[in-house]
Amino acid sequence: MSESVELVVIGAGPAGIEAAVAAAQAGAEVTLIDSSPRPGGQYFKQISKAFQSDDHTEHQREAQELFQKLASSNVRVLQDTLVWGIFEGAQPDTWLLTLHGSQAPARLSARAVVIAAGAYDRSIPFPGWDLPGVMTAGAVLTMIKNQRVLPGRRVLLSGTGPLQLEAAAQLVEAGAEVVGVLESASRLIWRGIPYLPALWGQWARMREGWGYLKTLAGARVPYRLGWSVIAAHGEERVNEVVFARLDPQGRPILQSRKTGKVDTVVAGYSLTPSTELFRLLDCEMIFDSGRGGFLPRRNENLETSREGIYAAGDCAGIGGAPMSRMEGRIAGCAAALRLGHGGEDQNHQGKTALRRERRFAKMLGDLFSPPAGLYTLAKEDTILCRCEQVTLGQIREAFTFGAQTITDVKNITRSGMGNCQGRTCGSIIAQIMAAETNRKPEDVRYYNIRPPVHPVPLEVIEEHGAEKAPEREG
Amino acid sequence: MRITKFTSELPAVQRGKAIEVQVNGRRAQAFEGELISTVLQAEGISVFGRKHQTGRPSGIYCGMGVCYECLVTVNGAGNIRACQTLVADKMKIETEAQVKP
Repeated sequence: MSESVELVVIGAGPAGIEAAVAAAQAGAEVTLIDSSPRPGGQYFKQISKAFQSDDHTEHQREAQELFQKLASSNVRVLQDTLVWGIFEGAQPDTWLLTLHGSQAPARLSARAVVIAAGAYDRSIPFPGWDLPGVMTAGAVLTMIKNQRVLPGRRVLLSGTGPLQLEAAAQLVEAGAEVVGVLESASRLIWRGIPYLPALWGQWARMREGWGYLKTLAGARVPYRLGWSVIAAHGEERVNEVVFARLDPQGRPILQSRKTGKVDTVVAGYSLTPSTELFRLLDCEMIFDSGRGGFLPRRNENLETSREGIYAAGDCAGIGGAPMSRMEGRIAGCAAALRLGHGGEDQNHQGKTALRRERRFAKMLGDLFSPPAGLYTLAKEDTILCRCEQVTLGQIREAFTFGAQTITDVKNITRSGMGNCQGRTCGSIIAQIMAAETNRKPEDVRYYNIRPPVHPVPLEVIEEHGAEKAPEREG
Repeated sequence: MRITKFTSELPAVQRGKAIEVQVNGRRAQAFEGELISTVLQAEGISVFGRKHQTGRPSGIYCGMGVCYECLVTVNGAGNIRACQTLVADKMKIETEAQVKP
């Protein structure tokens, strides 16, 4: 089953919904594809259909407004649908998407594509990080906000950025015992001074952050700057955690180390952009550590180096929901214009607002990047690739064996070849390789990726047997 | 542990209809709209799978379908993400079912 459409938008989070609606309003025929049962992405994730809630929070009002915009547009929405591949189409200037979902066609040919795939938590490996009970801040927020279930009873949070403050505040609200929040960044106030102009106008966000701090203070939860978890112990689940003060490079100062009894460790070191589809398309990538690592290069219309492929929101550089929504509108209008619909006016206005948002994103990125020394926490026998159970020791052997890029490491050790396709270990191994072999991230690069970018049943791929995927090196 | 304490910042949620599932052969209470991972957590289970290469335990990690650490067996079908799959009445869920020592 194959279909041709004008524009496909991938991902129904803040960026994707805005892109789809903007393009549809301009007159384009839009299909919005999303892997979840309901639109919203991670930021506006909705509770299950079978649940009912009397949620009058500001966040919920904002979400409902956005969903209303989508519902009253003529965007066709395909939920519960994975995009497992994207290729150059058989016709010139078309792109072929391969899908997996009960309501979806198996293939979709599009004349333009906006990728708004979002982001996920960045991990930093330490001994015991793969024990059950150690999880990301994103996981905890979903459990509490969407499922109303607690991850554990006694919790330590460690990481960087505002997301873990929100997770800590939610844990307190939900009745968990939060023993502390460790923030790896230090001297925040001193380092923040040059960024003060970027805070101008960001009142709602500052109020939100202040609210979290107030909740934590009210529950007498210690918030320590310049500290991090350094190891987790336990047999079948974490039962003890070791944490320490960090030196200015982010390496643990072992004399300061303390231990505590917990059943849950929340580790959230900011976010990693979801770049699989850009890499599969061979889009030109740039490295920007403050915005999450490797990102697709874009022009001012948010078009990547591949014509007709646009990138919007956190998948193209971490910036948060307001920035994602602005980028979505810009990319949606630009894609519609490319297809011969609409005008450019709104686009121009949007770009000015976007500059202010980007200043704020840069501040957060600069202040809350995990320091390089944290990547020294893993030991020889610490698992770096969880799917294929590859240890740091084995990864180091690959360096001595002559690996030049992390794709070489993948070919030698199988790291990144498992179910998650390198999403968890890719940025970790790149950081460690760059540091230990004295090279730049641009030189060790990112994992090459091949379809399917998500595991799908074999019969889904067999259906495509007749179609030959373009040959790629690597 | 299902959350029973609610505040203005964390408003009450009415779960779906009460249903019954099987977890490793035992009957367990569940509610429509819950994820498999939620039911396992409420049952006090934190080990969802074991790595076939090393036997190490794995459980919920990313909670958003990215890491594939929470794979369980559902009605005989393996490799189902517990954090992305809703429960259904009479569903048979098995943890640690893929051990190949």
